[in-house]
Amino acid sequence: MREPEFLQLVRLDQATLTIWIEEAWLAPHERDGERIFEEIDVARARLILDLQQNMGVNDPGVGVILHLLDQVHGLRSALGELLGTIHEEDAADRDQ
Amino acid sequence: MKDPYETLGVAKTATPEEIKKAYLRLAKKLHPDLNPGDKHTEDKFKEVSSANDFLSDPEKRRRYDAGEIDAAGVEKPQHRFYKDYAGASGQAYESQSAYADFADRDNFFADLLRRRAHEARRARGADQHYRLEVDFLEAVNGAKKEIALPQGGRLDVTIPAGIETGQILRLKGKGGPSPGEGEAGDAFIEIFVRPHHFFSRHGDDIRLDLPITLVEAALGAEVKAPTPSGHVLLKIPKGSNTGTVLRLKSKGVLRGGRWGDELVRLQVMMPTQPEPELEAFLSSWRPANRYDPRREME
Repeated sequence: MREPEFLQLVRLDQATLTIWIEEAWLAPHERDGERIFEEIDVARARLILDLQQNMGVNDPGVGVILHLLDQVHGLRSALGELLGTIHEEDAADRDQ
Repeated sequence: MKDPYETLGVAKTATPEEIKKAYLRLAKKLHPDLNPGDKHTEDKFKEVSSANDFLSDPEKRRRYDAGEIDAAGVEKPQHRFYKDYAGASGQAYESQSAYADFADRDNFFADLLRRRAHEARRARGADQHYRLEVDFLEAVNGAKKEIALPQGGRLDVTIPAGIETGQILRLKGKGGPSPGEGEAGDAFIEIFVRPHHFFSRHGDDIRLDLPITLVEAALGAEVKAPTPSGHVLLKIPKGSNTGTVLRLKSKGVLRGGRWGDELVRLQVMMPTQPEPELEAFLSSWRPANRYDPRREME
């Protein structure tokens, strides 16, 4: 979806979005010089709002939490892949 | 559905401030995005959220306290969390900084990292699905159509001749772009063919009910008959009846290099206005042969 649609959906103003993107809290991709938002960007924006509004996290805190979460998800998928590789090798061993 | 007071761990007499405090305390602990691998926590969080929504609404709380409504039916529509998207490979936010240093010490890990980076770069874009309505004749003869894309721009679609409702066209590389340098996804276009007001389709044959006059039926004639590729002259044999089916070879649907036929079913129509001469003739008419169209029903 395009920027106006995104802003309306998550109820965000343009100035705040600009800051979030500068802070790298959000990284929508660009096509033909225009920002395009995916579902993951919407979910991430809602998480940021949850952190700020419902959990009383301040702005530096949001940055820290997002950074840690991105690492957690990186670790989760690396772990998932590692497990997949182990199971494959395990199966190959058994076949021999 | 549990008692919302119990869920939040507050007394029935709790003030709105106490409820809010209890909710925030639990939400901080249970938020699914802070517990990405734990399904139980997510369920608990939803329970706590809906209990909070319920008790923060003074009207709902009053009616619940008065025993007018139970705690059911207050669940919010299915809420998707960030973690539901964050597991996708090649998503832009994922970070390797928590384990990248392992690669310096461990070949196996270095290998894994290289493969992951490679895969993320080469990840395909998302496939996109569209639905396209085409006219009956466009489906039979083939056509060029355009789809206006929701994110702007247009997609040219070539409808091959002979397409049917439910068929799906795949346009390679016309879906979403890759997050890295990989291929774009594909666009899938499901076709829906609008019905025609006199043609119908059965396999590769076209069927048509063609009205003819009494005179054309009795004496035979050459009449113009529509086909999907234009009009043709159709020879009506002398003495044709309603229900007589005439075959127009290769005037049906072209598919796989073979043409279907058009099957024209004749329908003899009486004049719609009074015809005194015809009535006079028929009352004096004595058929030369036995003429009983219902004899097989006896």
